[in-house]
Amino acid sequence: MLTSIKTNQFEGSESKKLAMMYFRVAIILFGAQLLMGLIAAIQFVYPGFLFEIFDFSVARMVHINALVVWMLYAMIGSVYLMLPDETGIETVGIGLGKLAFWVLTAAVTVVVLVYILIQVGPGTESTIWLINEGREYLEAPRWADIGIVVVVLIFYWNVFATYMKGRKTGIMTVMVADLMALAGLYLAGMFFTDNISMDQFWWWWVIHLWVEATWEVFVGALAAYALIKIINAKREIVEMWLWIEVLMLFGSGILGLGHHYFWIGTPEYWWEIGALFSALEPVPLVAMFVHVLYDWGKEQGIAKAKGEAGAVVKNGPAMAWIVTNAFGNFLGAGIWGFFHTLPQVNIYTHGTQFTAAHGHLAFFGAYATILIGMMYLGIQEAYGIKQLRATFKSKMAIFLITFGVLGMTVALTIAGYEQVLVERAELGAGWNAFFAAQDLPWYVQAQAWRLIMGVITFVGFIYLVWDLLTIGKVEQAEEAMVATA
Amino acid sequence: MANENKSVWTSISFWRRSAGWVTGFATILLIWLTFDTLGQIRMGTDEELKEAVAQQKEINRVPAPTVINYHINYKMDEKRGHEVPVIGKKELFFGKEWNPQEAAELLHLGKLTSQAKNCMNCHTLLGNGAYYAPDLTKAWLDKAWQKGGPLQAMTGKNTVEEAMAEFLQHPSQYPTHARMMPDLGITADEAKGLVAFLKHMSSIDTNGFPRNFSKTVEQFKTGGTNAH
Amino acid sequence: MLFEQFTDVVPSFFGWLNQGPMTLTLFLHTLIILPMIWIYYDEKKKLEGKK
Repeated sequence: MLTSIKTNQFEGSESKKLAMMYFRVAIILFGAQLLMGLIAAIQFVYPGFLFEIFDFSVARMVHINALVVWMLYAMIGSVYLMLPDETGIETVGIGLGKLAFWVLTAAVTVVVLVYILIQVGPGTESTIWLINEGREYLEAPRWADIGIVVVVLIFYWNVFATYMKGRKTGIMTVMVADLMALAGLYLAGMFFTDNISMDQFWWWWVIHLWVEATWEVFVGALAAYALIKIINAKREIVEMWLWIEVLMLFGSGILGLGHHYFWIGTPEYWWEIGALFSALEPVPLVAMFVHVLYDWGKEQGIAKAKGEAGAVVKNGPAMAWIVTNAFGNFLGAGIWGFFHTLPQVNIYTHGTQFTAAHGHLAFFGAYATILIGMMYLGIQEAYGIKQLRATFKSKMAIFLITFGVLGMTVALTIAGYEQVLVERAELGAGWNAFFAAQDLPWYVQAQAWRLIMGVITFVGFIYLVWDLLTIGKVEQAEEAMVATA
Repeated sequence: MANENKSVWTSISFWRRSAGWVTGFATILLIWLTFDTLGQIRMGTDEELKEAVAQQKEINRVPAPTVINYHINYKMDEKRGHEVPVIGKKELFFGKEWNPQEAAELLHLGKLTSQAKNCMNCHTLLGNGAYYAPDLTKAWLDKAWQKGGPLQAMTGKNTVEEAMAEFLQHPSQYPTHARMMPDLGITADEAKGLVAFLKHMSSIDTNGFPRNFSKTVEQFKTGGTNAH
Repeated sequence: MLFEQFTDVVPSFFGWLNQGPMTLTLFLHTLIILPMIWIYYDEKKKLEGKK
């Protein structure tokens, strides 16, 4: 992945080179996310670990921020990767795009250093402007917020102008509309209010309408592009599915926002709206899963009927990650989300490890997987490989990471279940109720298992980085050997 | 296209138009609902609060900052089927009554501090945040902080607000568990602000979250709560 | 107990629709889905017209 930028295999596509630059930073931030997660997981088991040096709040803040930012990097990278293919032309403002990349990367570095070294400030406006905003996921200080908006505007202008100038495919139409909503929503999180209910109301506009609406549609568009690219799926079919997915994702996801408005001071009518709309959110995720497997089987069947030997999959690891995405999205976002989306259940599960369990599997299943798949697609092109097959390292990476995240999810679900029964139902949610539940053996054991599974995930990550760095060269050499033989 | 599309169900334009309609209409509904909700969750005024106390009924879901001058309870409401905040008689807060401007400034300081100190990345507020430390939604009402409760007793103070403020300034001197709150450099003023923020939050109508803030079945049935 | 008395703190249009079992959510779902029937027949007409 490192050399892929220097060796110019992209036949002059600067857009794809820029994509690889974004992917590189994304994978570094992914590593940072996992490390911070490990620190936080250790603190659950050994509370004295780094106490008053690098507290849980700091580790957790960097953990979730690195998560969001690496995904945004990988998302921007994926768009720059698909843009020339979809529009048929080179991205128009590539110089500006590169400038935006460096500005964003510099800003992210400064923000993270401030998080780690300064951590907290006095209760003044300047802390919110310079150190951190203290709102989960949206901790970035205000100056960085403004910077992010500027950089995203540049990125969006690039996408929009290229779209207008080039070929207008269905996939790109969805992408352009979706990115506008995605970028615009960020503005809803950029203000301060003394009213905590108002604060969380708009906070959820950003968080929910990102991860349960616009990001999901983004993934739908990416999967559509990837299926055409990897298994040569028919565009008309893929695009029809994409519109169905948009219909169902936005139809359920937009008003599904209501399931965050049960208990934050908002009116009771949100119970019904939130419950019934969000209950439909898994439906499109099933559809996406069926669609991916169906297309794969169909294209393989067509190839077989033609008497072509071998697999139709032109990029083994990417396809493996995309199938994991289709299933993980359904399982993590769909099933684990539905678990606690009804208010009758949610009144007990809200704010317990249940949410953490859902969060881990959903972010991994719905987003991490497909974005890693896109990185493999980028590498295939960077090295000009016709058919990229999975190496031992690719297999270890996908197996260990998926197994690790699933393990963490199960452990946290058990912890959450215990917390619901003891802290919430039995003891009624006070300070002492909280700690009574935290001390029970089943909770403690669950946290220990979460740590073990976290370590397994991290080992998988090391395999992933190792694979991303080497697979291009290895496979290129192999293909050259086959060609000369 | 070579082969003509025969069924509407496989027609891209049908799905495209449907997607456009559903997305657009859901967005309009959400915006409408948002305006409706914003009106209901705006922070009330001092006049509305006085009226609510006089008539013993709820007017605002989020009361005015001057709610810190009143006793707050959390009681079962027969009609709504869950616990709701009940604003009662006047009581002093840090030994005085706060006028609307002072109360608003104190709440402002408290909310700012809650963000500056990153409370939400250990605790949950209104159930949102991290799950490393107790939920603070109704922390003000927690029996452990009241007179005779273990948390008030450990600080050696005589009121809930002073006990909480003392704890916030020197949290690692008062461990309640192996998992401790770190010293975040919270000043005396900031601590006062934070306590005001917590007291105000406990007066917000959260549709009965957290449920069962009561301890015994008897208390639960008679509408008494573990709150105080 | 199927139809309960109005319990919202602040009366509003949506609160009023929310007075029975799932009335509000069914109303909104119907409102969203019904026009798709019209879109369906409109598309069908177009497809048949093309032939």
